[in-house]
This record gives sequence, C-alpha cells and structure tokens, in this order.
Amino acid sequence: MFEFLFKLKWFFKENKGRYISILLVLLIVNVLEVIPAQLIGRAIDFISTGEITTMLMWQLISIFAAVILLSYTGGFLWQYLLIGGAVKIESIIRMKLMRKFLMMSPSFFEKNKTGDLMARATNDLRSVHQATAWGVLTLIDSTTFMGTIILAMGITVSWELTFYALLPLPLLAVIEAKLGRKINAAHKESQEAFSHMNDSVLEVVEGVRLTRSYVQEEPEGERFKGMTDSYLNKFMKVERLDALFQPLTIIVTMISFMVAFGYGAVLANRGVITVGDIVTFNIYLNMLVWPMFALGMLFNILQRGNASLTRIDTVLETEDDVNDDGSLIVQDTDMNFDDVSFTYPLSTCQNLKSINIELESGQTLGIAGKTGSGKTTLIKQLLKYYPGGEGRLIIDGMDVAELSRVQLREKIGYVSQENILFSRTVEQNIRFGKPEATDEELMEAIRLSAFDSDLKRMPEGLGTMVGEKGIALSGGQKQRISIARSLIKNPDIMILDDALSAVDAKTEKRIIDNIRESRKGKTTIIVTHRLSAITHADIIIVMDDGEIAEIGTHTELMQNNGWYSTQSMYYQTGGVS
Amino acid sequence: MEELKRLLQYALVYKWLFITGIVLMILMVGFELLGPFIAMLILDNHIKVGGNSIELTPIFQLLGLFFFIKVLHAIFSYYQTVILQKSGALVVQNMRNDIFRHVQKLPIRYFDDLPAGKVVARITNDTESILQMFSIVLPMFMVSALTVGAITVIIFTINLWTGLMMLIFIPLVILWMILYRKYSNDYNHNKRERNSDMNAMINESINGMPIIQIFNREAQIEEEFGALNDNYVKNSKRLINLESATGENLLESFRSLIFAVMVYIFASGFLNDTQALSVGTMYVLVDYITRFFNPLYNIIGQLNIFEEARVAAVKVFELLDAKEEPDDNGRLENFSGSIQFKNVGFSYDGKEKVLEDININVATGETVALVGHTGSGKSSIINLLMRFYDPADGEILFDGRNIKDISRQSLRSKMSIVLQDPFIYSGSLLYNIRLNNKDISEEDARAALVSVGGEHLMDRMDAGIHSELTERGSTLSLGERQLISFARALAFNPKVLVLDEATSNIDSETEQMIQHAMKVVSRDRTTFIIAHRLSTVQHADQILMLDDGRIVEQGNHEKLMQDKKNYAKMYEMQVTGTPV
Repeated sequence: MFEFLFKLKWFFKENKGRYISILLVLLIVNVLEVIPAQLIGRAIDFISTGEITTMLMWQLISIFAAVILLSYTGGFLWQYLLIGGAVKIESIIRMKLMRKFLMMSPSFFEKNKTGDLMARATNDLRSVHQATAWGVLTLIDSTTFMGTIILAMGITVSWELTFYALLPLPLLAVIEAKLGRKINAAHKESQEAFSHMNDSVLEVVEGVRLTRSYVQEEPEGERFKGMTDSYLNKFMKVERLDALFQPLTIIVTMISFMVAFGYGAVLANRGVITVGDIVTFNIYLNMLVWPMFALGMLFNILQRGNASLTRIDTVLETEDDVNDDGSLIVQDTDMNFDDVSFTYPLSTCQNLKSINIELESGQTLGIAGKTGSGKTTLIKQLLKYYPGGEGRLIIDGMDVAELSRVQLREKIGYVSQENILFSRTVEQNIRFGKPEATDEELMEAIRLSAFDSDLKRMPEGLGTMVGEKGIALSGGQKQRISIARSLIKNPDIMILDDALSAVDAKTEKRIIDNIRESRKGKTTIIVTHRLSAITHADIIIVMDDGEIAEIGTHTELMQNNGWYSTQSMYYQTGGVS
Repeated sequence: MEELKRLLQYALVYKWLFITGIVLMILMVGFELLGPFIAMLILDNHIKVGGNSIELTPIFQLLGLFFFIKVLHAIFSYYQTVILQKSGALVVQNMRNDIFRHVQKLPIRYFDDLPAGKVVARITNDTESILQMFSIVLPMFMVSALTVGAITVIIFTINLWTGLMMLIFIPLVILWMILYRKYSNDYNHNKRERNSDMNAMINESINGMPIIQIFNREAQIEEEFGALNDNYVKNSKRLINLESATGENLLESFRSLIFAVMVYIFASGFLNDTQALSVGTMYVLVDYITRFFNPLYNIIGQLNIFEEARVAAVKVFELLDAKEEPDDNGRLENFSGSIQFKNVGFSYDGKEKVLEDININVATGETVALVGHTGSGKSSIINLLMRFYDPADGEILFDGRNIKDISRQSLRSKMSIVLQDPFIYSGSLLYNIRLNNKDISEEDARAALVSVGGEHLMDRMDAGIHSELTERGSTLSLGERQLISFARALAFNPKVLVLDEATSNIDSETEQMIQHAMKVVSRDRTTFIIAHRLSTVQHADQILMLDDGRIVEQGNHEKLMQDKKNYAKMYEMQVTGTPV
C-alpha cells in the first residue's frame, strides 16, 4: 500500500514545501474542527447550570467566529495545495508518456496495442491522480483527524466512554474495504456486459445494409434483448451490493450511539461527565463516521493507484530497440542492399533473406509481389524503423546503421500503406512534410498528386478539416493528400508503399507520370500491386517469401515467364490465366 | 420539459414498483428522524447530573426502542434502494430495446448522414446517462427534499427562533447552490474538453507515429502537446481554486455559523427568560441541523448528472421520433428472377439527379455488370434494387410486379448481397454464414463454405466451423473475409445475387481466389455485379456503362470492344496501362 508513495518519492521530494505545508495546515484545521462541538457542549452546560452571562455568550460566539474564519482559510489552503499537487504529477507523467511514445520505434507499438497505451494515459493516470489527491488526504486525515477527535473525546469527556463507544467503529473500515472490493469486481463485470451491448449496437449500425439485406432485423432485436437482459442483471448485482453500505453503516453507528447514551447516562449520573459532555461526545462520534469509512477506501485507492503507476512505469522504462547513435550524414543516394536479411522482433521466421540490390542515385525501383512477400519489410529497412538485421544496407557508401536517423529521414519522403492523416486542415496535413513551404510549392504538390480537382469540391478548400473531427475523405483522397505531403518536401528519396491502391487507374497514371516528370534525377521507390505503375522503373524486383524471385527491367521480366509475366498477362487478357 | 414528461411515461410502466420504492423511502426518512427524539427523552427525563439514584430501566427501554427504530431504518434503506434501482434499470432497458427496434426500421437514408458512432451513443451511452439519473439523482433528490422539508418543519415546531433563523439561511444556501453549480459546471466542462483534446491527440499521435517520425516532427508534436497539457493544468487550477474557495469548505463554514447563531439563541433565550430550552431540546436541534446539511453536500454533486440526463433524453427522443419506414405490403411469392428497370430516375436530395432514364431488362439467370467512374450511379442502382431507396420516376419490376408494392423484407429475402467491405459479425464462423436463419443447417453452411473455396478456413481454426471469429474478423485477411461473405450469400440460396464492388481493394492474388467463388455463387442466378476492374466483368451477359447517371453503352464485352468508345478505352488502359 505504501509502495505507491514510495514510488513517487522523487515527486514528494521535489515538492517538499508543498507537502509539508499540507501536513501542517491539515493538523491545524483538524484541531480547529474539534472546537465548535466543544463550544456547543460548554454553552449547553452553562445554560443548564444557569452560569451563562451575556459576556460569556459573546465570548463563546467570538471564539466561534475566529474558528470559522481560520478553518475556512485552512480548508482552502490544503485543498488547493493537495489537488494542485495531484494535477501537477498527472501532467508531468502525461508529458513523460507522450515523450516516450514519440521516441519509440514501430516494434514498440506492435507489442503494445493502441488501446492499452491509451489506457495508460487516461485511466491509469486518473487513478494516480486519485491516489495522490484523495489517497494522501485520507492517509493524513484518517490518522491526524481521527487522532485529534479521539484525543478530544478522551481528554475533554472520558477515556472510558471513548473506548467503549469506538469499539464498533473499525468495523466500518473493514466493511468498506471488503464490500468495496466486491463491488469493484461486480462493476467490472457489468462494464463488460455494457461494452458487449455497445459492440453489438455498433455492429448492427455499421452493418445495417447487410442486416437488412438478409432480413435479420427481428432476430438481431432478440439478440440485443438478450444483451440488455444480461446487462440489467449485472447492473443489479452491483446495486444490491452497493445498497448494503447504508444499512450496515446505520447498524454500526447505532451500536456506538447506544453505548454513548447508555453508558454516558450512567457516567453523567455518577457526576463523572456533564450533560453538555454527552452532546459534545455525540457530535464527535458523528464526525468520526466519515473518516472511518474513508480509511477503508484508502486501501483500495492506494492499491489501484499503485497498480496503475506500475503499468505506467513499465511503459516508461521500455528501452527503444533501435539504437540511434549513428552520426554520419549522407550526401548522395546511391543504395546498395548487400546480402540483407531481417527478422521482425516478434516474428518466428526470417522475413527478408539475402537481399541484393544496387540502385544508383536517381533511378526508380519497382517492387512487386504477393501480399506478405516482404515488400514493405524491405523498404522499412531504409527508414531505420527496426533494429538492423544481417548484411549491410549501404547508402552513399555508408552503412545505414551508422547514419544519423534524423538526417536520414530528412532525405526521405515516405507514403505509407495506411493513410494516416491528422485532425488538421488539408493544408496543415500537406505542410506536415515541409512546414516552411511556399504557397507555390504547396499548390505544385497538390497538382502533382492530382488532388487539385478534389480540392475545389472541399467545403472550405485548403482550410477544410480532415481526420476524426473533419469531413470523411475517400481512401483515394487520403492517399493523394499523403502523396502531396511527401512531394512537397521534394525529398532525395521518395518511397510509395502501395500508396495508390484506392485511386482509379486513370488517376494513378496521371500521378505516376507527374512523379516521373518532377522527380527526374531523384531516387524513387514504388511498391505496388498494380504492375502498370512500375513498368517504367529502371529496376523491378519481384519479392516472394522474403526473397527476390525476379529482378530486371519490365522487358526482361516479361521474357522471364515467371510470376511477373503471368500477372501482367492475367491483367491483359482479363482474368483468363 | 417535454422530455421529462416522456421519461415519466416510460417510468409509469413500472408505477407500482416506483410507488413501493417511494413509500419505503418515506418510511426510511421518517425512522431516521425519529432517532434524535429518543436522545432528547433520555437527556431530559432520565439523567440527573450528580444524582446518586439512577433509574436505568427507562433508559434501557428507550435504547431498546432506539435499536428497534434503527433496525427498521436500515431495512427500509436497503429495500428502497434496491427497488428504486431496479425500476430505473427496467425503464432504461425498455427504452434501449425500443430504440434498437426502432433503428432497425429507419430508412437507410437516415444512416447516410449519421456516423455509426452517434447512433451507438444514443442507444447505449445516452440511455446510460438516463439510468444514472434514475439510479443516483432521483432517489437522492427525493431523500434530500424529504429530509430537508421534514427537518425544517420539526425545527419550527420545537423552537420558533431557530426555525426563523433557518428560513434566512435556506435561501442563502439555495443561492449558493445555484451559483456554485453554474461556475463549477462551466469550469468542469472546460476542463473535460481540454482533457479529451489531449487524449485525442495522444491517440492520433500513436496511430500516426510512423509519419511523425519519418518527417522528423517529434519536437513539433511534443511542443503542441505540451501546450495542451499546460492549458489543461491551467484550467484545472481554476477549477481547484473555485472548489477550494466555494465548495464544501464554504458549506462547512455555513454550518458552523449556524451553530454560532444557535448558541446566541439558546443563551439569550435563557438570559431574557423568554424561552429557556431543555438540554434535550438543544441536543435535538443541533443534531437536526447537522443532518440538514448532509443532503446538501450530496445534491450539488448530482445536479450535473441530472442536466446530462436531460440532454441525453432529448437526443434519445429525437432518434425515437425519426419516422419509421412502413413495411406492410404483400409478399413476393414464386419469384423467378426476372427484373426490369423502366425509365427509372432517382435523386438522393430531390434536386440533383443521380440516375436518369435507366432501362434494364434482365432475364432469369442472367448476369448484368455495371461499370463506370466513381459517382456515375452504379451503387444507386443497387440501392434501388434492394429497396434501400425508392425511385423518383419510373418503376422497377420483379416478375412484372412493381417492387413498391412488395414488402421490403419479402423482397430482400429473395436476394443476397456481397459488399465491398466484407462485414464480419461477432460470433462463430457458422453464425457468420447462416446468421439467425434456422432454415440453413450446419451442413448447408459447411457446404456453402466449401463450394466457394473456403474450406481451409475451417481446417485452420481449432473449433472448425464453430470457431469464434475475432472482432470484425481482424485475424482474417480481406480475401478470407470476402470468402465468408460469399459463403453467406450462397447459403441463403437467393434468386438474385448482388455483388457491390466485391473484388475492389484486393490484390490480384486474392482476386483469383474470389473469382472462383463468384462463379460458383452466381451460377443459375440473376446476378448484378459492380466492378472497378473490368477484367472481372467481361463474361457478363450484359455490360452497362454508366456515366453521370445515364447508361451510355450497353452490350456484351465483344460488342463494346468493337464500339471502341469509353468502355474499350477504359479496358485498354487497365490491362496495358496505356490508352489506345
């Protein structure tokens, strides 16, 4: 339980002043909070014995006023400092997480699902916040506040009465801790039922045409009813447990009050305590109920916070598996795959086997082959996304492993298979490739990627928001924006990784022609499923199972009678292979 | 307010359950407030300070009564919670089932401009807010109102001056509640918005990491995110300031202030000899004032849940009010499979024509291919055929019967469709083939899968055809998912088969796999094929070339190639990459 606090030692040390202040203020406030009950008890005693005078009354009221003012100030201070501290730690960790994400190579994101990483940055962070705010508060409060009250009860009223009356109260903490854990478990189940229900609705809505085509409306409705039933049951299970809290609290506090009154009456009769004492004592008893309850909650809060912090730390402590200590800078873009082999960190077999390619600066390389044959893997070697494999990949006479990653990427324009756009405007997305580009460069990139006519149809032209918060773009439009994003950079090496799959044949041809034209003298690598996109390439390779199955120019490969010529023929004859 | 009335209507279905719960709640509050009286009796009548003779019996009798009261209090408390929770949950379950059923009957048009996520939010999240209102807010409001009301009355009857003092404080407290809620809501809203902005950015950055890194934009993203994060902290600080200054802390001061005033009332009452209060009375007053404040703490926290639920209810009812499509026409019996489009015209928005003067004649068992650029009207024809929409002009005839006069469900039961994005339901492979159709036996489903060449799917998975598929079939390749769609289409044994770009988006390897399945499924059936890739349609009996909503060329492959018009050009371009 205290592991959590120990793990955050660095933070508490850095903010020593803040936390010492919190501790001091809380101590003072706790003492102050004990006073009103005393004042009322005294007042009642003075009245019942007839000792009260106007002077005495105003004295009592002035003390009251002073206490109210001080308590209020103190209450403001600790709350401000404590929750402020929790927000601070939360924002520090959030920033750390983001920095970590930005540093990590793709294999990290393959090992950790997006949803899991997001959970670190949202739910886990929230539990850490809870634990540093309410956890720390309860920890200090339940010890100091309860201590103060119990002391006040014992000293000003009676130790004996205090002992017997408090005997049942720890039960509250135990109940809270136990029941709380049970409720959490039941709650988790009910959340699962809820998300099942959610998924099923999403499915029906997304597949609405299909559901209707196959006339499945009625049966789907029945299926859904089953899910709402199951959710109702799980929900009620939580509520039935939750409903136990109040009655149990009533019973436990009842016992305490019975002791306070029964035994209190006896003591008062003996003259050990006054009637006012009984009133005071009961106010204190009331004040103890909540901290007792909180004490039970404390275990759960700190435990959850600790589990979350551990998960966050695991992410933060992951080392990047691509070391980036290269410092050499390339000038030219001659490329040489010298017997390159590669295995993905999570893969069980070799994904690239002895690849040999020589590409002169300014040439175009076409890569074809079946899905999963290693085309994308091959070009990712150039991007330094993964730790190097065997063999040497040489650019401008230097091994890629020794090149500075930033400098290498500066030379490359990469259009990936997935169309990744950000929730920004069309212009911002394209300028992502080169923020300082001139307007002419921007328009040229748009023209080259054949996005100009689409742009005219966008509601707000270049300022149109895309991505999650913006308009929905077709796959082809996304691909062309991605291409523009790379073209605007005018990179020395341009890589198109199956980047035209959603564009129709005519547009594809236009884009390929534009690229050939504008990138004369610069290296271009095109991965494609449509062979028409690479017939012009200087070198074409056909990948198969991680190996180069065929290599040559279009004319050479057509005479080869291999996969390339078969596929080419297949298209030409229209499917009769 | 309208939405509250309608919520009430939903609630009235379970009115007896609600009434039982509310009665129990009233009993609970009553028994809770009885407690302090016992204390008063003990203090006033049975404690004689310093007296030697003590009568313990009446004290213990009163404590016994106290015990009895508290046990009843506890029992009522438990059952009122459970019953009220249950009634709320039942109401919301009813609503959910209603909306779900309703959504199934909305015209397809409705889904065109509404993202799936929004519909889902209505059915699950918004109703969940309403459930929260029923389960948390309403009971708490009722208990609070009952308690506060009863305590005010009791205090008045015990002591007029204290009662009058409460009358001054109550409006103050209400004013504070209104102001506090207003500001904290604004701040809270602001903070939550910043938070979701941040989370959206983290999510997007994770997904876009390859791009961020390849363009060396890590520093830029970090800076932008840092700004969001700082902004969030700033907004949180404002909320913390507000809460620390005017939250419970202030209410606590209020309470102490009231106690101070009470000391004045007690003491001056004694000093002026106007009204000397007994110790017991003073105790009861203090106890009730303490209890008076407890519900107030709770209410403030719950008000925004109530507000959220109201907004949610408005949205839910809006969806429920969307007009359903009536489907009460006659059935289509003994359909042979011949289809005719006669001068069909269509527009989605009533202004821009997307189809004009479409005439198609399909004999039973024929294959018709629709080709043309994106937006030329191919998919619209399919939409009309399936009666997802109805034509504006002309008519579509199935066996000579206008389909407007045929029930949609009956019509669709004669057709199978395979879409561009194969859709996989959560469930087993078997479920995905036969869905909920009991007429299709497991054997039929198996046979269908084998016929389209998907046998290996069964063999590969542990539980064969009973294997559960992952979410949206994510572990299957696109081609494999499409095979399942074909098996489904085949298993339903339709008269008409519709393939809506079923072979787009896949590489040539997969396409060959699908081509085979397509041939199997379309055998002896009237078939409509939409295809980007002309290679897939050249064996069709009729090829219709569409342009701008009109049929511009019509005939089989050989004829159209000889015509040397658009079709021929497109074909050349696709197979050789160069136009003729």
